[in-house]
Amino acid sequence: MSEKLLIAVVGDATSVAGFRPLGFDVRVVEHSEAARDVWPELIAGDHGVVFVTEPVYAAIADLVAEGVDRAVPAVTVIPAAGSAGGVGAAKLNRAIERALGISVASGEEDS
Amino acid sequence: MPQIRANPNRMELLKLKRRGAVARRGHKLLKDKLDELMKEFQARIGANRRLRAEVERDLRGAYSQFAIARAEAGQAVLEPALMAGAPERLLGVHEKSLMSVTVPVLELDELPEPGGYSLATTPAVLDVGLSRLAAVAPRLVELAEREKAIELLAAEIERTRRRVNALEYVLIPSVDATVKDIQMKLDEAERSNLTRLMKVKDMIAQQEADEGE
Repeated sequence: MSEKLLIAVVGDATSVAGFRPLGFDVRVVEHSEAARDVWPELIAGDHGVVFVTEPVYAAIADLVAEGVDRAVPAVTVIPAAGSAGGVGAAKLNRAIERALGISVASGEEDS
Repeated sequence: MPQIRANPNRMELLKLKRRGAVARRGHKLLKDKLDELMKEFQARIGANRRLRAEVERDLRGAYSQFAIARAEAGQAVLEPALMAGAPERLLGVHEKSLMSVTVPVLELDELPEPGGYSLATTPAVLDVGLSRLAAVAPRLVELAEREKAIELLAAEIERTRRRVNALEYVLIPSVDATVKDIQMKLDEAERSNLTRLMKVKDMIAQQEADEGE
């Protein structure tokens, strides 16, 4: 796979608009549920990475989970302007839980 | 332990013994693979947590610059200014094998110089925000690559552990139990054969003694 792919950013205008001048494929969604409509396009193979803001991830976590075993696109959670944070770390903790079979402390000790 | 259905004969016994040996070898290999995967996985977790904390902090810093820009210029000016450019294909994607797990390797090209908006109508702080975002973008892509690798490793670890457990707690014990059972049945048949032969020998000896009299 040597062709170049797009980088998508999905979220509210306030958080993601700044990525467009950097050449990212910005998808502004008015409300988080609207991300469901653009999702099929983002996982069709044209995008290498899809960044989703925390509220969007919370709304479409089931769609994201479907593609978790595929190599691309890599779906990564980023904080939205004004969101509480911690969703990305929680997503990682779920991967740890999957690997170890048990839930472990979120590792605050090394932060 | 539920046994495997097999006829109690030497042929089946031999087959099952071979199957048990293969299962044991496979179990050892898979267990070694699982240990290696776990080592790789744990090494990545700590580094990833630090990177995520760093990226989130920098992103929030950039967002705050945009918030100031929005307050100064207003959403109506800022949004068309930012949404002017077209998306570009910036990401080179290769795949590499990490302990038989295919993980993506992402390479971010040089980002385009932000522009295309009027410097007269947009505040200077917008440029600061954009340059901060541009500075965090390579680490953002690195974070995506690392987290994807961690997710794929986690899935492989889960699959491997299931296999190891299935071999350790189901297949190997049931093969062992069946081998033992067949062995007992064959021994029993052997003993009963021997007893029969002894009995026949006794009967023949008795007959010859009777005829000799």
